[in-house]
Amino acid sequence: MIPLWLIPLFPLVGTIVLAIIALSSSDSKQGPAESITGAVAVLFPILSFLSVVTLSVGMPVEGIRGTIGTWIDTAAIQVNIGFLFDGLSRVMLLFITGIGSLIAIYSVGYMHKDRSFARFFAYINLFLFSMTILVLGDSLLLTFLGWEGVGLCSYLLIGFWHTDLKNTKAGNKAFIVNRVGDVGFLLGMLCLVSIGGSALLSYDALNAWLLNALSLGSISNAMPLLSLAGLLFFFGCTGKSAQIPLLTWLPDAMAGPTPVSALIHAATMVTSGVYLLARLSNLFVLIPAVLNIVLFVGLLTAFWAAIAGLFQNGIKKVLAYSTISQLGYMFMAAGVAAFDVSIFHVFTHAFFKAALFLGAGAVIHSLTGEQDMRRMGGLLKKMPLTSLVMIFGFLAIIGFPGFAGFWSKDLILERLYVSGPMGPYVYAIALLTAVITAVYMGRLIIMTFFGKYRGSKENEAHIHEAPATMLIPMLILSVGSAFAGFLWAGLIPGADFFREMLAPVVGAAQAYAELGHTAAHLSPWIFAGLGTLAALIGIAIAWFLFMRPVPEAKGGSEPQGFGASWTFAFDKLHEWIGVIPTKVIAWFLDVVLNNIILAAQWLIGGIIEILGDGVRAFQVRKVRLQAAFSLIGMALITILVLIYGGLL
Amino acid sequence: MELQASYIQIVALALFTIGLAVTLTRRNVFFVLMGIELALNAVNLSLIGFAKTLPAAASVAGQILPLFTIAVAAAEACVGLAMIILIFKSQESVDIDNYSNMKG
Repeated sequence: MIPLWLIPLFPLVGTIVLAIIALSSSDSKQGPAESITGAVAVLFPILSFLSVVTLSVGMPVEGIRGTIGTWIDTAAIQVNIGFLFDGLSRVMLLFITGIGSLIAIYSVGYMHKDRSFARFFAYINLFLFSMTILVLGDSLLLTFLGWEGVGLCSYLLIGFWHTDLKNTKAGNKAFIVNRVGDVGFLLGMLCLVSIGGSALLSYDALNAWLLNALSLGSISNAMPLLSLAGLLFFFGCTGKSAQIPLLTWLPDAMAGPTPVSALIHAATMVTSGVYLLARLSNLFVLIPAVLNIVLFVGLLTAFWAAIAGLFQNGIKKVLAYSTISQLGYMFMAAGVAAFDVSIFHVFTHAFFKAALFLGAGAVIHSLTGEQDMRRMGGLLKKMPLTSLVMIFGFLAIIGFPGFAGFWSKDLILERLYVSGPMGPYVYAIALLTAVITAVYMGRLIIMTFFGKYRGSKENEAHIHEAPATMLIPMLILSVGSAFAGFLWAGLIPGADFFREMLAPVVGAAQAYAELGHTAAHLSPWIFAGLGTLAALIGIAIAWFLFMRPVPEAKGGSEPQGFGASWTFAFDKLHEWIGVIPTKVIAWFLDVVLNNIILAAQWLIGGIIEILGDGVRAFQVRKVRLQAAFSLIGMALITILVLIYGGLL
Repeated sequence: MELQASYIQIVALALFTIGLAVTLTRRNVFFVLMGIELALNAVNLSLIGFAKTLPAAASVAGQILPLFTIAVAAAEACVGLAMIILIFKSQESVDIDNYSNMKG
C-alpha cells in the first residue's frame, strides 16, 4: 500500500521543479525548452493520477486514513495533518488528477510558443496540489488550506496574461469575491469550534459527535449554532462555486487561458462547494432549513444563469454561464439531501464541461484568439473532430438519452420531484431550466459550427484541426462524456456502481433525511421521458431561433469587470452592498479616524516635549551632581517602599 | 564576647557611606573610583554579615558569593582604570567635572 501523501506530493514537486525552471530562465528571451518543461509538467499529474488509481483499487469500504504529523498544537486548538481517502475523496481525486493530467497534456499544445510556458505549468501543478489537499484533508482546516490554495491559483491563472489590464482586473474580482465567501467558511469553522472545541474540525470526530449528540438527545442545545455553522459553510460554498449571491466572478474568470477555464472554472475547483456539502452531509441533514436555502439558491442560480447564457456572445462566456447553471443543479440535488446524486453530477459534468471547454479552446486556438461566436460559423467541415467533441459534450449537457448528463440530470430531477410537498414545483422549474439549457447550448453549437463562416479573411486561411496533444485529451474526454453516466444508470437495474461507492460516506445522512416522508413513487421512465422531451424541445427551439443569419458583431467579448451585462444586477448589488460601504469605511478611516489619531498623537507628543523641556533643567553638566540626584531618587523610592510596603 | 551580626552591618553601612561620600564629593577621578570600590566592598561585607546569621549549610553559599563579587570587581577595576587612563590621555585632566563634555 503506497502512502496517501504521495498524491499531493507529486504535484508539489512538479510545482517546485517548474518554478525553478521558470525562474532560472527568466533572463533569456526564448524561455526554457518546451519539450523538457512540458514533459515535467505532464509527468507529475500523471504520477499523482496513477497513485490515486493504485490506492482506489485496494481501498477498504471504510476508507484509508493517514496522519503525517501535527500541524497546530496549542492549548486552544490541535490539528493534525491527516488525510482521509474514502468513497467521496476517491471519486473526486480520480477525476481531479485524471482530467488534470489530460488538460495538462492539452495545455502543452495550447500554450505552445507562450513565453511563460513554465510559469503556466507551475501554476497548474500548484493548483492540482491544492485541490488534492482540499479533497484529501481529513479536517476542515486542511480542506480550508486547499480551499485557499485553489483560490490563489485561480487568481494567478485568470490574470495569467497580466500585461492586459482587463485580465488582472478579472483576476482581482475573482479573488476578492471568493474572499468574501471564505470569510463564511472561516466563521463556520469558528462556530463548530465554539460548540465542541477544535476536535470537531475533523470530519470523523464531527460525525461521531453528531451521532452521539443525536442519540443522547442533546443536539437541540447546539442547534442554533449548528444551523449558523451550516449557513456559513454554505455561504463559503456560494463563493467558491459561483452561486447566488457571489456568482459574478465566474463569467469574468474566462479571461484566463482556456485550459484553465476547463480545469479550474468548470471541472474541479468550482465543484469544491458541492464536495464540502457532501462531506458535511451528516451536519446538513440535521438542519433542514439550511438545506431548503441550498435548494432555493441552487434553483434560482440554475434558472438565472441559463437565462443569462442565452444572451452571451463569447463562446467561453456561454460555457461559463452553463457551468453556473449546472452547479445550480448540483446544489439543488444537495438541497434535497441527494448528496450522492450531486456528486455524480459533479463527476459527469467534469467530463462533458471539460470536453466542451477544450473544444472551445481548440476553436479559439485555430481562429488565433477569436472568442466571439458572431465571428465564427461553419466550422463543422473545417474542424470535424473538434466539432464531434463539442457535439458530444453538447448532447451530454442537455441530457440526450444515453449521454453522461442524461443520467445524472435525470436522477437530480427525479430526486427533486419526490423530495416533498414543494417537489413538483421545483421539478417544473428545473425541467424548464433544462429546456433553456438545450436552447443556449444549441445556439452555441449552431453559431460555431453551422451556417456560414463570418469571421475575418486572414483567420479563415489557417483554420486547422488542433495538434495531436490537444486532440487526444479532447477525444478521451468526449468518450467520457458519452459513457461516464453508465456508472449510475438509473434505468438499468444493477447499474448503480457510483451510488454504492458513495454510500459509506453519505448513505447514513441520506437515510436520515428520508425518514418521515413517504415518496410518491413514479416510474423512472416518466422522468427519463420528460427529460428527453425537454432536451428535444430545447434543440428544436434553438434550431428555429438561431438557424438564420447572425447580426453583425458589435463590441467585444472580453471581461467587463463590474460593468458586465446580463448579470441581473448582481454586480450592482455587490457594488452597493460590498464595494461602496467598504469605500465609505475606508474614507472614514483615512480622513476622519486617521486625523483624530494624528491629533491625539500630536497632543501627547507636545505634552511630553514640554515636560521634557522642564525636566532638562535638572540636566546640569556636572557628573557628581547627577550621581547625587540619582542617589537621592533611589533613596526616596526606597523610603516610599518601606513606608507603603510595596503596595503603592 | 561573640561578634554580633548587627555590628557587622553597622561597619558595612559606615564603609558604604564613606564610599558614597567620597564618590560624590571628590573631583579627582581616581578617588571617585576608589569610593566606588569601597562601597562595593561594603556591600560584600554586609552580605557576609547576613550569611553569618544563617545555619551553617546555607551560610556557606552566602560566604562564597562575595568571592565571586570580588573577582568580578577586580576585572571591572581593570577595565575602569584602563578607561580612565585613555580618557586622561585625551583630556589631560583628572577632574571628573571636566569629563562632562563627553555627552553624546
